[in-house]
Amino acid sequence: MDVNQPKQEHLLALKVMRLTKPTLFTNIPVTCEDKDLPGDLLNHLMKDDPSTVKGAEMLMLGEMLTLPQNFGNIFLGETFSSYISVHNDSPHLVKDILVKADLQTSSQRLNLSASSATVAELKPDSCIDDVIHHEVKEIGTHILVCAVSYTTQTGEKMYFRKFFKFQVLKPLDVKTKFYNAESDLSSVTDEVFLEAQIQNITTSPMFMEKVSLEPSLMYNVSELNTINKYGESFSTFGTRTYLQPLDTRQYLYCLKPKPEFAEKAGVIKGVTVIGKLDIVWKTNLGERGRLQTSQLQRMAPGYGDVRLSLETIPDTVNLEEPFEITCKITNCSSERTMDLILEMCNTNAIHWCGVSGRQLGKLHPSSSLHLTLTLLSSIQGLQSVSGLRLTDTFLKRTYEYDDIAQVCVVSSKVKAES
Amino acid sequence: METTKVITEQNERKTSAEDTGEIMNVTRECAFQDEDKVEKEEFIFHEETIDLDGDALESEENVTISDNSNNFLDKLNEQMMESVLISDSPNNSEDDVGELGCLQDIVEEMDAREDYRCEQVTGEKDSNILNNNKADMENTPEDDLHSPSEKLSLKEEEISEPTIDEQNVENETAINTQAEDVSKSKPEQASVPYVSKPSPKDESIPVCTIFSQVSSQSPLLIHDGFEPQMVKSPSFGSGIETPGKPPPQIVQPSPSLSKFFADNGSTHSPASDFFDSFTTSSNFISVSNPNAGTAGLEKNVTVPNKAVGGSQDCTSPKFFVGNSESCGVRRSAAALEIPQSPKPFSQMQTVFAGNDDPFATALNMSDLDRRHDAWLPSEETQAILISLSTQQYSTIFIDKDKLTMPGLKFDNIQGDAVRDLMLRFLGEQAAQKRQVLTANSVEQSLEGLKQLISSKNWRAAVDLSGRLLTAHGQGCGKSGQPTSHTTDSLQLWFVRLALLVKLGLFQNAEMEFELFRNLDQPDLYYEYYLHVYPGRKGSMVPFSMRVLHAELPQYVGNPQESLDRLHNMKTVCTKILDHLEKGLAEDGSMINITQSNRQASVQLWRSRLGRVMYSMANCLLMMKDFVLAVDAYRTVINYCPDQEPQLLSGIGRIFLQIGDIKTAEKYFQKVEKVTQNLDGHQHKITVLMNRAFLSLGQNNFSEAHKSYTEILTMDPTNAVANNNAAVCLLYLGKLKDSLRQLEGLVQQDPKHYLHESVLFNLTTMYELESSRSMQKKQALLEAVAVKEGDSFNTQCLKLV
Repeated sequence: MDVNQPKQEHLLALKVMRLTKPTLFTNIPVTCEDKDLPGDLLNHLMKDDPSTVKGAEMLMLGEMLTLPQNFGNIFLGETFSSYISVHNDSPHLVKDILVKADLQTSSQRLNLSASSATVAELKPDSCIDDVIHHEVKEIGTHILVCAVSYTTQTGEKMYFRKFFKFQVLKPLDVKTKFYNAESDLSSVTDEVFLEAQIQNITTSPMFMEKVSLEPSLMYNVSELNTINKYGESFSTFGTRTYLQPLDTRQYLYCLKPKPEFAEKAGVIKGVTVIGKLDIVWKTNLGERGRLQTSQLQRMAPGYGDVRLSLETIPDTVNLEEPFEITCKITNCSSERTMDLILEMCNTNAIHWCGVSGRQLGKLHPSSSLHLTLTLLSSIQGLQSVSGLRLTDTFLKRTYEYDDIAQVCVVSSKVKAES
Repeated sequence: METTKVITEQNERKTSAEDTGEIMNVTRECAFQDEDKVEKEEFIFHEETIDLDGDALESEENVTISDNSNNFLDKLNEQMMESVLISDSPNNSEDDVGELGCLQDIVEEMDAREDYRCEQVTGEKDSNILNNNKADMENTPEDDLHSPSEKLSLKEEEISEPTIDEQNVENETAINTQAEDVSKSKPEQASVPYVSKPSPKDESIPVCTIFSQVSSQSPLLIHDGFEPQMVKSPSFGSGIETPGKPPPQIVQPSPSLSKFFADNGSTHSPASDFFDSFTTSSNFISVSNPNAGTAGLEKNVTVPNKAVGGSQDCTSPKFFVGNSESCGVRRSAAALEIPQSPKPFSQMQTVFAGNDDPFATALNMSDLDRRHDAWLPSEETQAILISLSTQQYSTIFIDKDKLTMPGLKFDNIQGDAVRDLMLRFLGEQAAQKRQVLTANSVEQSLEGLKQLISSKNWRAAVDLSGRLLTAHGQGCGKSGQPTSHTTDSLQLWFVRLALLVKLGLFQNAEMEFELFRNLDQPDLYYEYYLHVYPGRKGSMVPFSMRVLHAELPQYVGNPQESLDRLHNMKTVCTKILDHLEKGLAEDGSMINITQSNRQASVQLWRSRLGRVMYSMANCLLMMKDFVLAVDAYRTVINYCPDQEPQLLSGIGRIFLQIGDIKTAEKYFQKVEKVTQNLDGHQHKITVLMNRAFLSLGQNNFSEAHKSYTEILTMDPTNAVANNNAAVCLLYLGKLKDSLRQLEGLVQQDPKHYLHESVLFNLTTMYELESSRSMQKKQALLEAVAVKEGDSFNTQCLKLV
């Protein structure tokens, strides 16, 4: 307001107002019945109130739009809109007015003015209006710098600037986690599951319009956030389409390597780029925001050069009776042919049958061999198959394979009875 | 069976940081708690990858530039622009930033997030900037960040507190004079024969009209504040009865009835049992009010300028409300009641006739009363009420804390904010022109109260209600003192509390409402006052007051309590409807009710249930539990089918508010379907209004403006469309047009447009328009001064 007069009197006044979406006026319904003391007075007052919904005065949420009351919060990915008004407060004609609006962030300066043309003249009590929009792409301090230059009637060149500072806050908290799915028969096309937790860290409810995973070149993605029922797909979140402040939601995606990538090396190794999450949300009256995460990276499970996977295993076996499992051993190295030695170490429950420390012969790159092993369990219950060791004779490196699979061990009597 | 697929969860401790979730550099601090180790690793990872990942979380460019090149440019810019930033921001912005109300910094958030952001990849440079900025911001005025309502409430407290103190002092003196008065008046009263008609002296003095009914009570001894309330059986009091005394004007009771009365209390005939069951037993409970009797109101009528406190000195009691609860004087109900209302007798007569002809039931208890007053007390209260109406020989003690003892908590909130502002901005002369009704300038009666309410002088109305309640002995400082209730006293409380809520003085309302607790004490039921309201059953507390009571907590930040109360009300309403369906009376008793009567009752209670559901929906909306709120509003449609279009539109707006435009659209389409076959302006307007809102949701202000304009061609006086069209114009960059529209409206039709929301928009635009907004706002103040009462919320003028 007029409290802080600028040191130098300017003929023009610059006013800026952030244009967030207007809000709906809410009224407080107070009603009474005809038989009550005020009779129909209170109801009448509500009917006369222009902000109530006619015919449904008790409805709190009215239809009257009110302008934003304060600057509010602005979040990354939202659009910053602002009204810039330059008004000629003086009784004189002002010439050659140039209004420039820049946005200074911690990393750059952007020009936001719609036009950079000079306005030839401005009559007293008229104004130059501009509405600027800018999609906010950085967190932290932003400064809107508005510069006005003009020429007075006497030909004096005038210039002033104003700064409006605001903070851009982070709207969402996103956490991800990968789960690897191993498949037995086609171990080359391993699926990856991505769980993304998205938390609303703003102070207002947030409608999640779109949360999708844009996969990198190597993957195909299927979203697991809808349920198909009777030909219609329903969101797994039900009718709750929005996130309250501090609410978190989990999204699940299944990624499959494209065949051409899957075939190539047998397995995808090391750090791979999975893709990025694209999040679009809306708040009050459709105020929109959009963010993308950086590329999500995943470290493929460390199979090393040699990979051992299970091909077959019975789910239930008898106590102290031998059973067979089939393993598949793959040489994952790119060019080296390996000489492998298999050792079988007994654990508390698992006892391997056969010779430990035997040579498996030459295994060429990207090839695999199948191996049938016999073992028995001396303890009932769910037992973990562990204790396989493969030693690469050339590198003298030993690979340990524990907890390869679980097997249910039951007493042979029970088995016989059933 | 072979296991075909095993999903193994990666053990995060074993795998490297890249494997666990991280996306944004900023998410790190909130990582899973059990991953400390990983966090550290991640931290390293981040530091290492600053160059790659510096703008990790970036919003997508509309123009597709490759990410890498973009980042690279950013990095370059950062280097180049840094010096510029530091050189201009601190010194200049300090003056300018605070100057505008429109655009403000956010200091709290900033401070809160500072450490947190220093950790971020943006790096040390950033935190330097931040420190500079922080210093700036501490100097900027932050008032505008507080919502106006907060300001308002603060201010109100300031106003009301001192007055409470004053009042307390006044009250002490008042009590003293009261004691004198009573003792003085006692001999007089004692000499007046026990006629329940008001004594000639009483008649000659203007009486607070609402209490005329109560004032006909015969005088009794002084009350001295007993704790337990003693209610005695008639037999106890029969010794002092004056049964032989012929009442002055009565409908002659039937012989059988007089016989009955003669036997009353001493015999335990089957007839009296029957009689008791109709609640008109001669059981005597006084409704008289020990605290009343001195507050003079006639002074206010005759000398309008005199303040309330000053009127305490009048010597003669205007109307007498005795205090027999604690004293031994008991009078026969018959003697008391006969002159007052002959009705019970004829009613009893018909009851004894044992038929259920419509006339009888009509008299038995006015159907209207029964229907409206019905309520189901809690079991405990019910037990007390039953024992009151059936106990004949033993004495019933009612604990003090089972009684309702309300009293004003503050006395004078009268004040005229508009006038205060005029005094401040326009000078004394202008302020003197402000003419509004005050509590003194109207009749000290319910009529005066209504006059104040309808002229929107709610503050004055609250004040007057306070005076009337003081007259009833429930004034300041009377809380916690035994008192008695009448239909009118409770209605007065309702009006007072309703107005406080309307004024937004929720704390004040809560303070006074608290004394009523859960509105279920036995003395809030008619059965408690057998002789004053013979034959009447049910709740003295108006249903609307219960609704208000239930709604209030949500306005003071306790919506859960509101929901609890509303659910209780819902249960009672449902039970009552259940009773009616089963052919019983509302309260579950076996009274015969005619079909039409029953239907009217069902209708009333359904609408009440609907009202409760409405409140529930509103409360849920306030709690921002939108899913439940939408469900609740949909339920309301069942109770108020005529409001379907409005309610569906409302639900649509809720979805718009959340940001769920698609669902909003679905509801708006439903509205179109529902109103398709309905004629009428109003429905077309509703549909257009919804279209406009949808356009707003799609960020299409010009389309929205078009829809509003279309409404205006149909209904040029539509306030909402006018206001909303103006708002759209502003967003389209047409400030002057927008202003012109709103200003025109306010000038042409001040009755409709001097509304908070419109004025708020208008003043906001004035502020945006020029540095001379002050004059324009003051002009608005003058307009308001002419048209609006003291309840006007001056906050929207943004003068202070």
